[in-house]
Amino acid sequence: MDVQEAVAEGAASVENGEVKRDGKKQFSMGPGDILEGKLIYDGSVHADGRVEGEVRVTGNIDVASGASVKALLEGANVSLKGAVEGAVTARDKLTLGRNSKLSGDIQVRRLQIDDGATLNGHVRMGDFEHQASGQ
Amino acid sequence: MSTRRPVSRVPTPVPAENGANGGRNSVVLGPKDRLVGQLYIEGDLQVSGTVDGTLEATGDIEIAGGGKVSGAVTAYNRLVVGSDASLIGGEVRVARLTVEDGATFTGRVTMGKHKAEVASEPEPVAAAIPEPVAQPEPVTPQDWGLSTPKRKKK
Repeated sequence: MDVQEAVAEGAASVENGEVKRDGKKQFSMGPGDILEGKLIYDGSVHADGRVEGEVRVTGNIDVASGASVKALLEGANVSLKGAVEGAVTARDKLTLGRNSKLSGDIQVRRLQIDDGATLNGHVRMGDFEHQASGQ
Repeated sequence: MSTRRPVSRVPTPVPAENGANGGRNSVVLGPKDRLVGQLYIEGDLQVSGTVDGTLEATGDIEIAGGGKVSGAVTAYNRLVVGSDASLIGGEVRVARLTVEDGATFTGRVTMGKHKAEVASEPEPVAAAIPEPVAQPEPVTPQDWGLSTPKRKKK
């Protein structure tokens, strides 16, 4: 019975795009969706449409190319393809895609910026000794 | 057409068009090279050595091959920080920026059509207070937002 219940629950969620194949949760937005406020989420977020406020997740954040984000973003891996205004923290890696635009300070462990991306802000990486004394 | 290229005809690494005939000047700092101070290049700059100071180039700057730069970097065109290179703790003003995964990169980045050119131009004003170093740079997030040029929208 337990198993059945779990399966049923899982199947329903998959259809809603809430559970990824590896069993981790995903909060998935569409191009017409709007999120305003603060989201703290145990899983990954696919941001599209409009996001304003603060998004902190235990998993990954990816921002779609058409998205408009004015928010503080924090996740393990953060991947940007759209426009973001706000501070970004990537506990592991931040990727700025070809057409992404980011205005805000970033704090990362690893960083990849593809040619064509626009970045305006302060970058902090790895250990923070250099910046702390350099300012 | 012959595709053979004799070993003896390998092109010399020194660019023939070294600035004089309108071609692009290119300067290379090799892995064993070290620069402390300021460097301004009319053209491209490739760094795989160690630089402690300020770099400015009217073309591209590429830091790669284990190159380590600490200081301000201004590239009127493009800056590339390779996967094994590091750029630490400076003011970075560029038109285009590529940071490869694995690179070490910290600093304040300002992008857009080079107002860097205007900002870094030494103004020979006699009455001005000479304060070459330690300018406070009060750049706020709002400033970045505003200074971001509305470039070609696709």
